[in-house]
Amino acid sequence: MGDKPIWEQIGSSFVQHYYQLFDADRTQLGAIYIDASCLTWEGQQFQGKAAIVEKLSSLPFQKIAHSITAQDHQPTPDSCILSMVVGQLKADDDPIMGFHQMFLLKNINDAWVCTNDMFRLALHNFG
Amino acid sequence: MAEKPMWEQIGAGFVQHYYQQFDSNRGLLADLYTEASCLTWEGQGFQGKNAIMEKLTNLPFQKIQHSITAQDHQPTPDSCVISMVVGQLKVDDDPVMGFHQLFLLKNIDNKWICSNDMFRLALHNFG
Repeated sequence: MGDKPIWEQIGSSFVQHYYQLFDADRTQLGAIYIDASCLTWEGQQFQGKAAIVEKLSSLPFQKIAHSITAQDHQPTPDSCILSMVVGQLKADDDPIMGFHQMFLLKNINDAWVCTNDMFRLALHNFG
Repeated sequence: MAEKPMWEQIGAGFVQHYYQQFDSNRGLLADLYTEASCLTWEGQGFQGKNAIMEKLTNLPFQKIQHSITAQDHQPTPDSCVISMVVGQLKVDDDPVMGFHQLFLLKNIDNKWICSNDMFRLALHNFG
């Protein structure tokens, strides 16, 4: 049985780490972003580690649990890794909602950081 | 009124063209891909323009219609554009389904092509 390609190993590790950290203590997510990182959260743009962490830390819920339905990873022409996640989340006592998220990962000084992050709730996916 | 940033114009232009083309004649999508392009379609990987086009043209439906709920665009550190789309689609007489798609666009010889493409149906987004 072949090993998974390297980009899949890196992508899935990142995804696992991201959601574990997000659910446990999202104020600690700063380490995965840099000053050049961009986040688009439900259509709003945030530029740079500080703005991103401020947005994530101030999201209005106490508890959150993410559950990943599917994740896909690809290598990009510029040696980055692109990861797409489809899943469900539950915040506080709200009903479960679907979400979509993507990450572009770049290797900087031997660490994989997230340069681009986009998140959307799957609010309109009802026929 | 300020103009949209360049990456948003490029991303939105690509996304509009892609779905219009997909819905009218997806065989003509070939121009958007190169030999280095990767597609992941519902978890299956396809490498290069030919393999991608073979997959898309062999999808088992006659009619398809995409409706975009939301799209987000960002510039990447390597001067690419990344676009994430959340929407719904209807194939033949099947019920409407949600979908999630991601495109990484790269400028090669003054033309924006798609180097990375990932598609997933939002099949598990019900609590």
